[in-house]
Amino acid sequence: MLQIYTSGATSGSFRGGKQKKGNVTSEQEEEEQPLQAVLVADSFNRRFFPISKDQPRALLPLGNVAMIDYTLEFLTSTGVQETFVFCCWMSNKIKDHLLKSKWCRPTSPNVVHIITSDLYRSLGDVLRDVDAKNLVRNDFILVYGDVVSNIDVSQALQEHRHRRKVDKNISVMTMVFKESSPGHKTRCEEDDVIVAMDSKSKRVLHYQKTQGLKKLQFPMNIFQHGSDEFEIRHDLLDCHISICSPQVAELFTDNFDYQTRNDFVRGILVNEEILGNQIHLYVTQDGYGARVSNLQMYDSVSLDMVRRWVYPLTPEANFTDQQGQGCTHSRHNVYRGAEVSLGHGSQMEENVLIGRDTSIGANCHISNSVIGNNCTIGDNVVLDRAHMWNNVHVSSNVEIHQSVVCDGAVVKEAVRLNKQCVLAYNVVIGPNLSLPEGTVVSMHHPEEEEEDDDDEFLSDDQEVGHSKDKTRQKAFNPAEVGPEGKGYIWKASMNDTEDEELAQCLWGLVLNPDPESDSESEASEESQDRTFQLEVLGTLQRGLEENIVCDNLVLEINSLKYAYNITLKEVMQILTRVVLEYPFQQQGTQLTTLQYTGSLLPLLKTWSPVFKNYIKRAQDHLDCLSAVEELFLEQDTHQTAMVKVLMKMYQLEILEEEAILKWFSTGATNDKSRQLRKNQGVMRRMSLWRKESEEDESSEEGECGR
Amino acid sequence: MPGADKETDLTERIEAFLADLKRGGSGTGPLRGSGEMARETTYLLRRITAQARWSSAGDLMEIIRNEGRRMTAAQPSETTVGNMVRRVLKIIREEYARSRGSSEETEQQESLHKLLTAGELSEENFRQHFVHLKANVIEAINELLTELDGTTDNIAMQALEHIHSNEVIMTVGRSRTVEAFLKDAARKRKFHVIVAECAPFCQGHEMATGLSKVGIETTVIADAAIFAVMSRVNKVIIGTQTVLANGGLRAVNGTHSVALAARHHSTPLIICAPMFKLSPQVFTTIFYPFPGSFSYCLPVLREILSKVNVHCPVFDYVPPELITLFISNIGGNAPSYIYRLMSELYHPEDHKL
Repeated sequence: MLQIYTSGATSGSFRGGKQKKGNVTSEQEEEEQPLQAVLVADSFNRRFFPISKDQPRALLPLGNVAMIDYTLEFLTSTGVQETFVFCCWMSNKIKDHLLKSKWCRPTSPNVVHIITSDLYRSLGDVLRDVDAKNLVRNDFILVYGDVVSNIDVSQALQEHRHRRKVDKNISVMTMVFKESSPGHKTRCEEDDVIVAMDSKSKRVLHYQKTQGLKKLQFPMNIFQHGSDEFEIRHDLLDCHISICSPQVAELFTDNFDYQTRNDFVRGILVNEEILGNQIHLYVTQDGYGARVSNLQMYDSVSLDMVRRWVYPLTPEANFTDQQGQGCTHSRHNVYRGAEVSLGHGSQMEENVLIGRDTSIGANCHISNSVIGNNCTIGDNVVLDRAHMWNNVHVSSNVEIHQSVVCDGAVVKEAVRLNKQCVLAYNVVIGPNLSLPEGTVVSMHHPEEEEEDDDDEFLSDDQEVGHSKDKTRQKAFNPAEVGPEGKGYIWKASMNDTEDEELAQCLWGLVLNPDPESDSESEASEESQDRTFQLEVLGTLQRGLEENIVCDNLVLEINSLKYAYNITLKEVMQILTRVVLEYPFQQQGTQLTTLQYTGSLLPLLKTWSPVFKNYIKRAQDHLDCLSAVEELFLEQDTHQTAMVKVLMKMYQLEILEEEAILKWFSTGATNDKSRQLRKNQGVMRRMSLWRKESEEDESSEEGECGR
Repeated sequence: MPGADKETDLTERIEAFLADLKRGGSGTGPLRGSGEMARETTYLLRRITAQARWSSAGDLMEIIRNEGRRMTAAQPSETTVGNMVRRVLKIIREEYARSRGSSEETEQQESLHKLLTAGELSEENFRQHFVHLKANVIEAINELLTELDGTTDNIAMQALEHIHSNEVIMTVGRSRTVEAFLKDAARKRKFHVIVAECAPFCQGHEMATGLSKVGIETTVIADAAIFAVMSRVNKVIIGTQTVLANGGLRAVNGTHSVALAARHHSTPLIICAPMFKLSPQVFTTIFYPFPGSFSYCLPVLREILSKVNVHCPVFDYVPPELITLFISNIGGNAPSYIYRLMSELYHPEDHKL
């Protein structure tokens, strides 16, 4: 661990000077409680893979400036005087960068401490460490190292402090949101949230990520809450800036299962009544705030930067105060660094940022692009929404559309990069090649990635070097990267689903989320039911195969019931369903009705004790029946089997006669079920049963009596 | 080491000032208006003079020029900073000349003969060491500061000469100098003020509230109504962001249309501008400082917002022929006389920092 300290006295004197030696007492107060910030310079995910394999995300250039610099500038401009930067992945690089930057100069008003550890796996770990080391003494701002913002949070801070003063420490966190309507391009699909809040107190009542869900459920209690007015808003953009009280760190320590801020917010909201903690919201209309959480966001934030939405953090402002980083700004948002040469007939249409010492050939068309330092670009090149980092070489007749080209990459002649391509560090492509949409090329072999999957977080330089040796042995595929190409395609070489996920993650195009990933309230419950159902099925299957006694099966199901927190009623319904679907499960859905009943009826007989264990009260019978009905409504080709099933269940004394009759007489709830009942002529059969039952009555009663 | 301490303290202050400048002089922060900006710059320059290490006037000028370059680069749309740096440089030149016993007057006169004969000699001349130079320069800078403190009052004092009873005055947006000017006149005279609101920032609303508080009859009009109302107006009195070397203005967006309307109706256009706004710059480029925070202006554009470029020109250029009179803290001047003031205030060698 390394910490860089500059004496507190310097920063104090600076503050004092700014106030023109004014109010001495307020100055002292300020010295007592300098505003602190926790900056998490790690994303704890692999969205930027394979780019982030070589460079941590916080150091990726955005408008030719590392992202972490934007975050630090934002913090400094809001008056933060002490920042703790937590790094994990490639912490050395981040440390080197910060040591060289203006933040670590003795004159910096914002004292930066760098804390590194390989053990951080989530935001939760970081905050637990904050608590363990007792770093924060007061309210602090929590941000990620990839947040770009010019929002003035001082008002949010004031509101937060006021709330904490008024009702003692109840509010633990204030999240900063920006108003932006759905469909705005800086809205990140994965961060899409829906928030219910109290209009007056700005308290968060419900917080949920939409994740493309069409239906959302809100808990009833937010409607019944004492407040007169509340709002449900979907026009908010999460800026990933939160003002936290020191309690937040403590709460993370207490709840060791909190991993992300999302977990925390949900945890606080669920336990609000028990712990009495609240979360508030600060909504701002102007200002800019966005987190670069995937390449799609990278693309849009980078363009917003060039379009000056993040004023005063504009490219020509050179806020990092580095030598030679300055550039000039001219019409149509064209920025040129020092020593840029532009060939004859080349056009820079609009929103173009060109770094220092870059040379561009003749007849090029450049629009909406950022080009780094020391790049060379040949003749007749078309660049649209291209993000080129430093030392990139592009030969003549190249077309690049909405793609990222990392440091040191070489694009040979007549290459076309279609939308959303990524060329990672030092890749060589071409000549004469067209990369299809969404291609990701890296010098790292995707398989090597799988090999050291587990210790990717721990992999240090040595390990990287080691794995490089491995990759050398695998040959580049000239069909993929061109005859002179160097690099491995990530998409094509990886197998189906995983790669699909990767591409989506990189560009964040989660358009149709798969049902399993719906982890939110309603969805999660449903999926829990589903897993329970699968478990029950497995249990029964095993029971059948290994001939386990029914009593033991009951025991197992009971324990599952507790494990998944399922009510008795649901257990019964699911059990009924599983049993009735069992033949389908085993032999496929194309069974004829006859085959179906043939295989089902013996099963019912075998498992009847299990049923009997659960179906006891009259209500249970009805529930069971409704489950049966529901299933047969779904399987309408097998409706005729229902009568037989019911009969068997009756014969096995799983269901009582009165219950069946009652179910029948209560009538159908909808047309379809009425149809079901009519079709089968259940009535006719029923009379038949009755006779049977009357015949058996004496013996039955005898049994009951026993 | 007290010396080193002083040094770091100074750089710290410079850094802080630069950071403030970068974060935008307009709006929040200690540098709200150009008046404050001028004062802060001068304070800082006085500090540099007092604390930096220099032995001759040449050294000092080099230091100040360097810092000045950085300051102007930090906020290119704010010319006041550069102007103050030039003023201080001029002060140093004068004090040096006085210490040497020669009169600066003769040296400064530009003539064809001088242009042909003079080399780069003048710089070398500043190498001589004088004991009292530091104190003298600081004293002169203090005088400059007093002048700066009094600018608004000096301008306001002239109000009664220009505003007469029952006149209708038009103004645009908010200028603190104009506000003080009108308020001063309102103590003796009764007149009517029409304020163009100056969308999209609508500083005019603020101005109107300020004026009506002291009992001036005030009307706010939309910018589109400027031409229609102009026929009833006796005088247009506006402020400006910068007075350019040719006597033109770089002023808040919308000023040009006001000036044209005033010309059409032959209404006098009077500019209230303190001397520190006089810049040796000539009209070059228009700056677009902040198109940000306009997302709420464009609610309709949602989906296509990514394809839209929003330009918000904050400043207008007003050519000198449209201007009748400048009122500065040293009196009223015609635009054609600006070049003369320029040579009085700044040394020609300092025009380019």
